[in-house]
Amino acid sequence: MTTNKIKDRKQKTKVKQQNIIDALKDHGAKVYGDLDNGQFPKFSIPSRSVSNIVYDKKLRQYILGNSAAVRSSRNSSQLRSFTQLMWLAFFANRLTQEKKSSTLRDVYYSSQAFAIEFEDQSESDNIIVDLEAVLSKPREDFHIFPEERSSIFGDLNIEYTIPGYEGKKMNLSNHPDGYAIGPSLTTAELLDTSAEIVIAIEKGGLFTRFVEEQVDKKFKSIIINTGGQAPRSTRTLLKRLHDELGLPVIILTDGDVYGEHIAMVIKSGSANAAHLRELTVPDAKWVGVWATDIEKFKLPTIPMTESDIKRCHDLQNDPRYQEGIWKKELDVFLKIKRKAELEAFSKYGLTNITDKYLPQKLELAKSL
Amino acid sequence: MSSIKEKFNQISPSEFFYRNRDLAGFSNPTRSLYTAVREFVENSLDACDQKGIFPDVHLSIKAVDPDAPDPKPYILTVKDNGPGIESKHVPLAFGTVLYGSKFGLKQARGMFGLGATMAILYGQITTNKPVYVKSSTDGKIQDEFELLLDIQKNKPVILKHNTKEVTKRGLSVSICLEGDYAKADSKIKDYVYETSLITPYATITFDDPKGEKFHYSKIVNEMPPAPTIIRPHAHGIDVETIRRMMVESQFEIPNIDDMMIEKVRKDLGLTKKNLTFAGIMDKATKRWKTLSRPVRVVISLMSFLAMDFDKLSKIRIDDIDVPNKKLYYWDFGDSQAKSIDLDSENPYYKQLTGTVQGETLTAFLTKRFQRIGPSTAVKFAEFAGFKPEKRMGSLTNEELVKLSDSLQKFEDFLSPDPSCLAPLGEEPLEKGMKKFFKPDFCAVVQRPASAYSGFPFVVEMGIAYGGEIRPGGPHVYRYANRIPLLYDEGSDVVLKVVNDTDWGRYKVKGDPPFVLVSHICSTRIPYKTVGKENVADRQEIERELRLGLQFLSRKLAAYMSKRGQAEMAKKRANLYAKYLPLISQFCTELSGKTKEPNYKKLLEEEITIDDK
Repeated sequence: MTTNKIKDRKQKTKVKQQNIIDALKDHGAKVYGDLDNGQFPKFSIPSRSVSNIVYDKKLRQYILGNSAAVRSSRNSSQLRSFTQLMWLAFFANRLTQEKKSSTLRDVYYSSQAFAIEFEDQSESDNIIVDLEAVLSKPREDFHIFPEERSSIFGDLNIEYTIPGYEGKKMNLSNHPDGYAIGPSLTTAELLDTSAEIVIAIEKGGLFTRFVEEQVDKKFKSIIINTGGQAPRSTRTLLKRLHDELGLPVIILTDGDVYGEHIAMVIKSGSANAAHLRELTVPDAKWVGVWATDIEKFKLPTIPMTESDIKRCHDLQNDPRYQEGIWKKELDVFLKIKRKAELEAFSKYGLTNITDKYLPQKLELAKSL
Repeated sequence: MSSIKEKFNQISPSEFFYRNRDLAGFSNPTRSLYTAVREFVENSLDACDQKGIFPDVHLSIKAVDPDAPDPKPYILTVKDNGPGIESKHVPLAFGTVLYGSKFGLKQARGMFGLGATMAILYGQITTNKPVYVKSSTDGKIQDEFELLLDIQKNKPVILKHNTKEVTKRGLSVSICLEGDYAKADSKIKDYVYETSLITPYATITFDDPKGEKFHYSKIVNEMPPAPTIIRPHAHGIDVETIRRMMVESQFEIPNIDDMMIEKVRKDLGLTKKNLTFAGIMDKATKRWKTLSRPVRVVISLMSFLAMDFDKLSKIRIDDIDVPNKKLYYWDFGDSQAKSIDLDSENPYYKQLTGTVQGETLTAFLTKRFQRIGPSTAVKFAEFAGFKPEKRMGSLTNEELVKLSDSLQKFEDFLSPDPSCLAPLGEEPLEKGMKKFFKPDFCAVVQRPASAYSGFPFVVEMGIAYGGEIRPGGPHVYRYANRIPLLYDEGSDVVLKVVNDTDWGRYKVKGDPPFVLVSHICSTRIPYKTVGKENVADRQEIERELRLGLQFLSRKLAAYMSKRGQAEMAKKRANLYAKYLPLISQFCTELSGKTKEPNYKKLLEEEITIDDK
C-alpha cells in the first residue's frame, strides 16, 4: 500500500470530521440567528415513524421517507426536548472537537452537568437518535460509541488517531484473544493487511477456536466476533474493511432465523437505523449455517420455539426476504421447524468446522 | 288506653317536656350545652330580624369551677340589642312552657320560647339555679328578674325583681346548666362561625370558657326584608287541605231562635214595631248593604217562606235542597213537615245557595290562595274542566280529587310568594362568603321560590374556589332558615345533590380548595329526624338544589377554564424563562460566537401576549 493512498485516506477522515463539525456549527448559527431576531428557533427532524420507513431496493437497505416533524422551541410541549437536542449538538461538538469519546449511558449522566434533565436513559437515547437523523450521520461520527464490544483478530496494521495515541501503530494479530472494537479502533487509520477476506462470526467461542486453528493464516483472513447482533461500531468497521481495503466479507451464524437476520443486518441494516446510510455492507455474504446445511451435514438439532416460528413469519413480510437464499432458507427453517448452532459441528470433532465446513463455504462464497 | 291520655292530662306541659327532653336536643351534657347556645342565640337573632335591628349578640360560657372535670356546671349568657320583652311578659315567657308568640305561615328560625324554656328547664333541673333575665324595651329602664320554674304547676316563681336605669335596649338571659364543654367545644365554635356566615348583617361575639374571644363583625349594611304571614300556594296542596279550607268557605244556615230573631229585628231597626211581611222585606232591601251575612240569610229564608217574625218563630228549617230547589221545614204550629219550592228567579235565591254551597271556585281560589287573580282563576277553571262559578260546596269527592290534581298540574300560577320567606339575598351572601373564605372565585344564586306540599321555599346557594380555602373540598356548609346544620350530614339532600355531581365535568379536580354554601328557606323545613339536622330529599327541593348547583357549577367551570388558561400561560412563561437561556448558551458556543443572542425579547413578547 502506497503512502499516498494512506495520506489520501487520512485526508478523507479529517474531512469527515470537519463535515460533522461544520454541520453542527450551521445548526448552531441558525438557532443563534433566530434567537437574535426574536424568532423561536426550530429543527426539522425526519420522521422515524413506521409509516415513514421504506425499503430502498437500489441502496438495498431501509431508508426514511420524506416526511419530517418540526420541533419548535415555541411549542411548550416540545421546548424541553428542543433544548435537549440543542444541548446534545453542543455536547457532540465538544466531543468531536476534543476527540473525546462517550457512550449512551455516559451522555445521560453528562447532561446533568449542564442542568439538562432526562427522565431516564431511554429519553437521552432518543435525543441521540434525533441528532443522528438531523445530521444523517451515525453517532459514532460525533464520538458516541456503543457499550458492547465485539473483537477482531488478524494481520491488519492500524494507526491510532485518538489523542495521546496519534501515530502509534499496531498489528492486530499480536494478541490471541483478539482486540476489542472500541472507539480507538473504529477511528483508527487502516494501513495495510495481508488478508484477502473478512470472516464475521456470531459467537465468541467459535472466534477463539478460529484463532487457535489459525484460520487467519490458513485462509488469509481477518476474523471478527460480532457477539450476537453486530454492534454499530463493528458494522462501521466491517464497512471500512470492505470499502477501504477492498476485502470481501462473509458471515457465519447459528443455523436459525436469528442467525439469518444477524447476517441480514450486517448486509443491509435495520429499520431502527433507517436514517443512516453508512452502516451497511451490501456485498457481505451469509454463508451459513443454512437450514439446508442441517440436513446436508447431518447436524444435531433442537426444535424451534414458538417465538422462532413467529419470527420466521414476521421476516417473510420483510421485502429483503423475498428472493434468493434469504427466502429459500427461511422457508426451509419453517418446513423443518428445527435449528442447529455453530457448535453442533463439534459432534464430528473439534476441528470439523474449520477443516471441513469452512473451506467448502469459502469456496461456495465465490459463486454467491 | 284511656289511662295514657289521663296521665298526659295530669302532668303539666313543663313536666311533659322535661320527660321528653331528648326530643328537644337535651339528651346529654354535650348536646344540651350546644342546644342551649343555639336556642338563645337564635331567639336573639329572630327578635332582631323581626324588628329590623342589626343584631349584636354576645354569647359567653363560663365554668362555675374552672378546675372541675367535665361534665360540670357552666353559666351561659346571651345578650342582645333586640327589642326586649315587656316587663309583664317576662315571667311567663321564661317561666312557663308553651308561652310564646303565635306561629303563623312565615319563616322563623324556631318557635319562639319553646326551645329557650327547655334550656332553662334543663338548667334548673341539673343545677337547681334560677334564670337571670334582664330586659329593656325602651333603652331607659331595665327590668331584672330572677326566676324559677314550678315544673308541676307550669308557673314561674319570681325570686327577685328590680329595675334599673340603663342606656341600651335589649335582652340578656343567663342560665346555669350542666354541660361538657370539652366535647361541645368544636361544635359550638363551628356553630358560631357558620351562623355569622349566614347572618352577615349581625355582629356575633363569643367568649369561651378558656378565655378565648371570637368576634365576627357585621359585614353587610342591609337587613334582608322581614318575612310576612301569607296564604298557601296552589302548587303541591293536597285534597285534605282543600277540604279543610272549604269548610271555612261555607256558612251554616243560622239557627232561627228567639235570639236570632231579636238580632234581625234590631239590625233592621224594628225593635219596637211589628211590621207585616211586605213591610219587613221593604225595610231589608233598604238596609241590605249594612246587614251581616247571618241576617241576610234569615231575610232570604223569610222571603221564600213569605213569613213575618211571628210565623218564623214557630218553624224549624230542616234542609235546603239546592239541586231540587226545595226548602223543607217543620211547623211547630200544626206539628207537620212541610216544603216549598225555591224560585230561582227570586233575588234572594243566590244569597241562599251561596250560603249553602260556599264560594264559587274562582272566589275560593282568589281569596284563599296566594298569587291567583280573577283571570288566572278563570283560566284555571277552564283547564281543570270546571265552571268558574261552580260552588265549592257542590263538589263531589271525585271532583275534589280532580281539582287537587289540576291545582298541582296547572302551570300558569305565579311562583309562590316568597314574602313569607327570609332568604339572605344574593348580595349579602356573596359579600359574606368573600369575607369569610377570601376565595379567588365566588358565585351565588337565589332560585325563584317554589313549593312542596303547599309550603313555599327558596333555595340560595353559593360556591367559592381557591384563595385561602383549604384543599379537600367541596366543603359543604348547610343552612336551613339561617340555622347551620352541623350534625347528620350523611343523609342530607344537599349532600346527596353535591355527591351526585361529577365535578370533573366542571374542571374541578383532585383535592380542590372549594366551598359550597346552601341555604334552604321555608315556612316548614322537611327535616328527616327530630334532631332537625338534615333535610329530607323532597323531590321539589332536590330539583331546586340541583338547578342552583348546575347554574353555579357552570360559572365555576367558566372560571376554571380561564384560570387553567392563565396557569398554562404562566407555566409556559416559566418554561421559556428556564429553557431559552440554556438554548442561548449552547448555540452561542456551537456557532462559535462569544456574545449571547438577544433572546430576552422573546420572553417579554411572550408575557405581553399572555396578559391579553
